[in-house]
Amino acid sequence: MLLFECFKRKLAIKLFMKLSKKQRHWLDFLSAMTQKEIKARYKRASFGFLWVVLNPLLQMLVMGFVFQFFVPVKVDNYFLYLFAGLLPWNFFAQSLTKTTPAFFYEGSLIKKAKFPRESIVLSIIFSNLFHFAVALLLLIVALIGDKLLLEGYGLMQLMFYVLRMLWVVPAILLLVFFTVGFSLFTSSLNVRFRDINFMVGLAVMLWFYATPVVYALNLLPEFLQPLFYLNPMTAIIEMFHYALMGLPITLPNFIWVAVVIIICVFYLGLRVFQKESKNFDDWL
Amino acid sequence: MTKITETIIRRKKISDEVVISLSNISKKYTITHEKPTLAEDVSRMLHFQKKEEFWALKDLNLTIHKGEKVGFYGPNGAGKTTLLKIIAGICEPTSGTVQTKGKIVSLISLDAGFHPDLTGQENIFLNGLIVGMSKTEIEQKLKQIIDFADIGDFITAPLYTYSSGMRLRLGFSIAVHAEPDILLLDEVISMGDENFRKKTNRLMKDMFANGATLLLVSHQLQYLNENCNKLIMLKNE
Repeated sequence: MLLFECFKRKLAIKLFMKLSKKQRHWLDFLSAMTQKEIKARYKRASFGFLWVVLNPLLQMLVMGFVFQFFVPVKVDNYFLYLFAGLLPWNFFAQSLTKTTPAFFYEGSLIKKAKFPRESIVLSIIFSNLFHFAVALLLLIVALIGDKLLLEGYGLMQLMFYVLRMLWVVPAILLLVFFTVGFSLFTSSLNVRFRDINFMVGLAVMLWFYATPVVYALNLLPEFLQPLFYLNPMTAIIEMFHYALMGLPITLPNFIWVAVVIIICVFYLGLRVFQKESKNFDDWL
Repeated sequence: MTKITETIIRRKKISDEVVISLSNISKKYTITHEKPTLAEDVSRMLHFQKKEEFWALKDLNLTIHKGEKVGFYGPNGAGKTTLLKIIAGICEPTSGTVQTKGKIVSLISLDAGFHPDLTGQENIFLNGLIVGMSKTEIEQKLKQIIDFADIGDFITAPLYTYSSGMRLRLGFSIAVHAEPDILLLDEVISMGDENFRKKTNRLMKDMFANGATLLLVSHQLQYLNENCNKLIMLKNE
């Protein structure tokens, strides 16, 4: 095990050395900014790091309580279902609302120093990703524990269960690409048009209900279902539900629609950022 | 619009190596009387109105050689800061080309990159990367930076506990230890006590002995006359 760690480290260093000086500085800078985000967030909170888990847990309890009484959702383990969807949703919503005004908030730094501007947005997203990963890991441990102790899974059964969980990897990749693209788009435009920030706040609120987090897609009339895949978050959340809860994806072919949209959004966000970032200084 | 005149104060033996070369630099700003909004933009498009424009710099040419100490002087709004920002790469000119050679550190930003909740040491890494040092470079120079800034045990305390003098000293210490080839100073830095000023002067002398180039913006003509060997006057026409 130690040997493996050692080997991994060596490989990472080797890859790192292969990069040019500029790329290395970019990576160093991004990792330092991300560490700053992670360290600074809970620095003066007495519960500190515990909030990472506490936050979605409390949210799950409140929402589970409310929706179970008011909406007749027929899903087994509704609380776990909520939790599995809330984690990626929170990552997306929190990243987007925090990154959109980020260039504007960091104006004094942008006006005074030359550094890769995108690191401001990326560091927020990656620090959120770190928190998301920690919470997700805890959920996975809890799920496996549940299957092993309460439902008495055999070894083979458990292995298949864990293998299916690997689907979270492509789901996370899609989620991160989408979040980065969309955040770059809104944060770049927000430098000039401060309305964007208000729009995003409102949009995220509505968006939550257009995404199957508190409900399941198969509760909706069939002709409406394809429309929901125009929202890439639908596909992403369903992938998480499949990976963690074993629930089937409602319309598997429509995942590709989401993938295409995500690629387009990412490209668009990148281009807008490249164009706008040259003139950030003029507008801050 | 700005016109520039170059005066050479003192001929100094200077290498032929060009470190900064600006050709036909223009910088246009769009004037908005309040913060721009989407609605304003749309209504302007519908009425085919042209945006109000302001040229801070127009067709500016400038060459600076290695080892020169250049002073920039001019009234407010003549474009001094814009010029420095373009050289530092903080903003891009509307047209024209900028070529620079070597590491540029601008001291416009002594404590801009600091985060109040992080410790002095954590902030050294963050700010060091902002001024263009690599991580290993910072690790090597960490002790020097801390010693020069002279903040003692506070280095492990969060930055919000620092006095403003300590903050500036730390920022300055990081910037000079980045070993810039070109140093940009906006306004004369007069901070810290007598002791710190002496240390600063010594360090600056060492830097120029090694061939660093200095660009200095100031409103004090006398200071520039004494410290620079080339003076660039910017005038509004």
